[in-house]
Amino acid sequence: MDRECVSLLPRVCEVLAASGSSLPDDTSLEKLLDWFTGLTKAGTSLLESCPCLLEFISTVVHNTALDPSILSFTLRLTGFVAVTEVAFKVLQESSVLDLVFNLQHWQEAGLWEDPCIRIGWIQGLRTMMQHPKALSFFVQADFLQPLLQLQTDKSLFVASAANQMLAHVLLSCQSVSSVGSNDVDEEGEDVGRSGGSIADLEYSAVTVETNQDYAAVVTAISECLKKSLVPRENTQLHQSLQILKLLALLLAQTRPPLWEKLLQMVADSVDELLVAGYSQLILPLMDVILAAYSSCDVNRRAPDQRVSRLLSFMLNIRKPADLIQAAAAFLRRGLHDLVHTAQSARVLLLPLDIITGLNLLTTTDEQRFLMMEQLKNKTSCISLICVCLTNTPQMTLMAADCLPCPPVLIVTAVLSLLKLCSGDSSSPSSSSSGCREVSRNVIGSSKVQKCALDALTALSGSPGVEVKLAEVFTLLVQCLDNPDSDPTVLQKSFQALVQWMSVCSDLSSITDQHRQDLLQVVRKRSCDIRWEVRDSTVEFLGRLAGVRVIQTTAEEASDASVAVLGGCCFTTPLLRAALQDTESYVRASAISALAQTLAASWQQGAALTQEQTEIVNQLLEVLSWDTEGFARRAVVRYFIAWLSSMSSHSCVQSPASSSLLMPSVRSVLSRGSADLDWEVKVHTLELAELLLDEAFSGQRGYTKGNPTQTHPYAVIPNTLHTRTHNEEDVVGVLNSLVQWGVVSALLSGLVDCDRPVALRACRLLITLREVVCPLSLGALDATAAMATVARVTCELPGCGWAREIRKMLVMKAKDANAEGGVSGGEVVNCDDCGEAGQEAASVGGQTPCVSVCEVLRSLDLDERLDVLTRSSDHVHNSPLSLLQDILTASSARSQPDTQQEVIADCY
Amino acid sequence: VKWKKEATNELILKQSVQKFTNFCHPTLPCNVLKFKSTTIMLDCGLDTTSVLNFLPLPLVHSPRLSKLPGWISKDGTINLEKELKDCAGRVFVDSQPEFCLPERELLDLSTIDVILISNYHCMMALPYITEHTGFTGTVYATEPTLQIGRLLMEEVVNFMERVPKAQSATCWKNKEIQRMLPGPLKDAVDVWTWKRCYSMQEVNSALSKVQLVGYSQKVELFGAVQVSPLSSGYSLGSSNWIIQSHHEKVSYVSGSSLLTTHPQPMDQSSLKNSDVLILTGLTQMPTANPDGMLGEFCSNLAMTIRAGGNVLVPCYSSGVIYDLLECLYQFIESASLGTTPFYFISPVANSSLEFSQIFAEWLCHNKQTKVYLPEPPFPHAELIQTNKLKHYPSIHGDFSSEFRQPCVVFTGHPSLRFGDVVHFMELWGKSSLNTIIFTEPDFSYLDALAPYQPLAMKCVYCPIDTRLNFHQVSKLLKEVQPLHVVCPEQYTQPPLTQSHRSDLMLELQPPPMPYRRCSVLNLPFRRRYERVYILPELANSLVPSEIKPGVSVATVSAVVHSKDNKHTLQSVPKPPPVAPSKKRKRVMDEPPVVLAPKPLLSGAVPLEAFLATLQKHGITEVKVEETADGHILHLQAEDTLIQLEEDGTHIVCDNNEPLRTTLRDLVLRFLQKL
Repeated sequence: MDRECVSLLPRVCEVLAASGSSLPDDTSLEKLLDWFTGLTKAGTSLLESCPCLLEFISTVVHNTALDPSILSFTLRLTGFVAVTEVAFKVLQESSVLDLVFNLQHWQEAGLWEDPCIRIGWIQGLRTMMQHPKALSFFVQADFLQPLLQLQTDKSLFVASAANQMLAHVLLSCQSVSSVGSNDVDEEGEDVGRSGGSIADLEYSAVTVETNQDYAAVVTAISECLKKSLVPRENTQLHQSLQILKLLALLLAQTRPPLWEKLLQMVADSVDELLVAGYSQLILPLMDVILAAYSSCDVNRRAPDQRVSRLLSFMLNIRKPADLIQAAAAFLRRGLHDLVHTAQSARVLLLPLDIITGLNLLTTTDEQRFLMMEQLKNKTSCISLICVCLTNTPQMTLMAADCLPCPPVLIVTAVLSLLKLCSGDSSSPSSSSSGCREVSRNVIGSSKVQKCALDALTALSGSPGVEVKLAEVFTLLVQCLDNPDSDPTVLQKSFQALVQWMSVCSDLSSITDQHRQDLLQVVRKRSCDIRWEVRDSTVEFLGRLAGVRVIQTTAEEASDASVAVLGGCCFTTPLLRAALQDTESYVRASAISALAQTLAASWQQGAALTQEQTEIVNQLLEVLSWDTEGFARRAVVRYFIAWLSSMSSHSCVQSPASSSLLMPSVRSVLSRGSADLDWEVKVHTLELAELLLDEAFSGQRGYTKGNPTQTHPYAVIPNTLHTRTHNEEDVVGVLNSLVQWGVVSALLSGLVDCDRPVALRACRLLITLREVVCPLSLGALDATAAMATVARVTCELPGCGWAREIRKMLVMKAKDANAEGGVSGGEVVNCDDCGEAGQEAASVGGQTPCVSVCEVLRSLDLDERLDVLTRSSDHVHNSPLSLLQDILTASSARSQPDTQQEVIADCY
Repeated sequence: VKWKKEATNELILKQSVQKFTNFCHPTLPCNVLKFKSTTIMLDCGLDTTSVLNFLPLPLVHSPRLSKLPGWISKDGTINLEKELKDCAGRVFVDSQPEFCLPERELLDLSTIDVILISNYHCMMALPYITEHTGFTGTVYATEPTLQIGRLLMEEVVNFMERVPKAQSATCWKNKEIQRMLPGPLKDAVDVWTWKRCYSMQEVNSALSKVQLVGYSQKVELFGAVQVSPLSSGYSLGSSNWIIQSHHEKVSYVSGSSLLTTHPQPMDQSSLKNSDVLILTGLTQMPTANPDGMLGEFCSNLAMTIRAGGNVLVPCYSSGVIYDLLECLYQFIESASLGTTPFYFISPVANSSLEFSQIFAEWLCHNKQTKVYLPEPPFPHAELIQTNKLKHYPSIHGDFSSEFRQPCVVFTGHPSLRFGDVVHFMELWGKSSLNTIIFTEPDFSYLDALAPYQPLAMKCVYCPIDTRLNFHQVSKLLKEVQPLHVVCPEQYTQPPLTQSHRSDLMLELQPPPMPYRRCSVLNLPFRRRYERVYILPELANSLVPSEIKPGVSVATVSAVVHSKDNKHTLQSVPKPPPVAPSKKRKRVMDEPPVVLAPKPLLSGAVPLEAFLATLQKHGITEVKVEETADGHILHLQAEDTLIQLEEDGTHIVCDNNEPLRTTLRDLVLRFLQKL
């Protein structure tokens, strides 16, 4: 622990014990507790390192007039202090412990009414209960009854904490009893928050007597569960809900024999609850049953008969809404139970079956009738259908013998539901009047449409559904064409289309008519009045270009954009028009879509077209003039994509594209690093990094990516890409980096006021330094070894970032001079950049040049990296600062005359 | 009825049944309501779909249309070469287009007291109703309805008169001949009643009968009913009407909209507590959501312009065009259409654009507030200022010199049979780069395009109808809860082409009363009373007596004085003192002889007590027989019967007048007298 903190703690304790009202803000106590939690977790014994805490606790606990928040804090603190057995003993011997957790004490003081005291009491106990002594203390003090009462506390937080605590107690008892009875479970569950497991504790501590105590606790808890599970009236549903939550927790974590015992105790009550059929309790009940069921599953035990029976009961409830919920809950668990899985699937498919009239499954007339009646109500119809749709993709992936109908039929059903939503009459469901009444509920419902489209997208991966591609295509194009489709529906339709084409890579079923329809609709949507729709359309064009498909005629793979839209000749003009869009999101999407569209031609090294040149000019204009950051970020990313695709396919690099790319990259670097948006700047640095990678790949000392992340002993692969650079090469590369503007971009990033920019620039500069002029070589060696490299210079103009760099160099030179014994009185001109500057000055001219190596070695990059790595609020968030704040606030309060309210003026 | 001795107390009398007649189809209503002895015509819409059977009237000589072959029947027996032309595989009448008038035979139009107009689209038949029919009543409409209605009429008259046709085709209307004609002509109904367009003079005369009213203004009709317009939210000055008497309320809802467009929002709350709500003028396009259509309109427009084509929008010169221009105002920039010229060509374009800006009080709140800034409420003012929107009275003159392509042209008439639009169809129809976008829902676009086939131009149908759809109307009716709803038959079943769409019909409890063309309905009114006033002196003379707690009754003898449908009870004039002269005046002049009214009896005769009284009076031998309505007492010794029933007592006693009188007096003892 920080020594300074330890020294401040006694005074802080005094302040807190005196009055809690002078805290700087209401989170201070929580922050203090967080600090203590951290310390405890790190294995520090609080009592040893901060003995003042004992006195603090005993003072506070006697002073019931204190602010309840301080008292609650003390209760919780006591838990942390008593987490080790030694400290627990000390507290017990000083009789602090008895008083702190004495209910009567708090009740008599009238403080128990305050929920923060109650929650403090529970959490304090909970934290402390990591060793058998604490458990014994709990049992002997007879805390079980009050805890059971707290379980239905009117404060939700208290009730929930009590629930957690009860589970903890029971699990602790289980572990201790099993230890005591020598029935040691090898896997010994880790129930302790602080990492200490009760199973690890000394066995001898557990006597036969205490064992009986624990058995009594277990019995008491299970009795209580049994008794309070079934509500006597509707107002007690809350209590049942709490008990069910607790039961789910327990059944998931306990092992036999406790598991058996619990189940046996509550089985009848659960039965009773099931028969009562409270809809609000369906999901919690299902949680309990599934917790019990999965516990068998996980422990590779055969499913318990009672649990199986309960599960079957749940999956046969008569209320359709409850039934669907139960079935969905079962499927979500993904348990290996063929019978129930098949049954759940049937339940979940029933609404879809009824509404589409497709005869997906065979069911009894009664089930069908009940469901139909439920579906006639619009609200419940929509929610049932949505639950059903959400589960369809998972169902189609189940074993064939679980599924009542093949996945293809489910896709057909989803398609016909989508048709119904748009008011299309061709659905077979129009036959019966009941179905008509039901289908009327989904006409025009965009909620169902969205759900169905999500399902359709996910269903693309189901086995054997490829045959549906043409039908899906037609329907999605209809959705896209429908004037009433809302923007989200259109977006999801586009996504579904891309997904289906990427999964079913064989597009032979797509006819020319399909293509024409899609072209028409894409053209229309790219002119839509709503920007969201234009944005989705543009995104679609980009994504489509990334999908590889096989076309009918030539068995050659191409991208889907070429296959269905005819490729660039259709896409590029639309995207270029979108570059002029008034909405910046659309412009940004258009730029990234252009990158995706052109990626293929870059990779193939195709010759540059006039159009591409125009696009590049347009993009550079966007970077210079666009008022919104999104578009400008996208431009930089465009060049990143271009450059990286060129470097990964360097063998086919066409000189033609390089002739356009490299000058553009230069402009991007200079404009991007001068941007006002920090993300643009970070992207610009990424571009610079690519150039560095390209220039130095394989060079000794060059580590790709983040230098601080490489482990000192990591093996650096140096066989594959190692190119041996001699010094001349390095000079050449460095010169070109300077010319491209990489070095300027990095230096300007270094002094940027946005931390992420500066951090990234700093890391890259260090990387560069390690290749060009490593610090490991002494100053003299370096000069000798790199005489040629040192001659590479870059310009430092007299304004902006360069001025900052110069200042830093001057400071450095001063320090160096001072260390070197040169008289301190020497005046250093601000424009004079030490050695490097002099060298530059000798060259003459308005913008002096400096040696890159010199700059890299003089900038104290490592120190800077260290500062930048820490988060900007690291000072404010330290425990020391917290303690100081508490003291300052208290002294300010004690001298009210001198206190002046500080009104922060944000403007 | 609570009795108060005050001057304006009312009595309530039963009244006769109200009738409702209708002549026309749901979107162009023309209904007649007979209510409280007044005859009220509700709207007089004109069915202009008949013009689709005629050849277009080109503004500039069209070689194509002038060279069309005449029609001769296959066997050659009927030769109507002059009247009918074969064009693009269909037969059209080559004559000045004619309109299908509302039914005029069912009712003598001279008996109509007033005509209430709900919006400017529903008054186009006005000259046919008010002129040359003996109509002497008044027409009520709001100011924008009158002014814009006048513009629309003026525009049609102008379109027709600009291109006069010498001949008027009538032979084809012969029943025998019409039967032999092909295609839609054969099935056209009531062709003999079709009429050429009215003249400007008739328009002016008809409109001179219009009396202006403001929203919520109450207009008394002959003291019998009160009518009052309410904002209906559909177009500038559009209104629904409340027609009410003291005890009955009829609401006439026609062409209403709940969407937020330019007009004042619909006043829904005033429609509450209606006995009958007559519902008409719902959207013609229940499946086309106006927002979606507006989106389609914009994207198709942008698509065409980007590809270098022109866009033609056939539309009326007022109404949806304001919203289209407003939508485009916002869209132009985002679709980079800033440099594309927009032309609005109509003889009344200028007036329409200007009128819309001055009817501030009739606009929605947003637009009203702009007026106080002061800014023009509609953004088309800015489009005109910046020269993005230009308007011309016709294609002749300035327009031809400033015309630049690609461009967007808004012009009429949406039927494509007359107006400047005919010229653009001839001009642009041959290129697939151009697009025609239909936004008015009144005409089938396929029929409108029929005489221009084959057409290379792209065609987009985006009908924008902001009137209530079924979903909105169900909500509205749930809100206002009328006792009965009367609506066209079409609204009570799903559309023929989409029989599965049970959401596209009205489902109400109790079911609405449907009507069809020329049907007459008796309106169900729960209460049929009339308010009658009592003069103070007469009221003062009344002597109420309490018949049960809180209810008092008095007899009134008075003279009912009825004037202007107001009824007043006046005291009976006292007989004049006997004239000194012995000469008797004429009998006619003598005031009616007023007899003192007999007291009114009330109450029931209690059997036991009555028997006891009889016994006291020596009548002992009484045999009581129970009947369905009361009792029969046989006074056996006296050979007399007394029937005591709920609503009457009879004493059957032959030839014993003293006994009858005694018995009568005994019965009267048990009854109250007024």
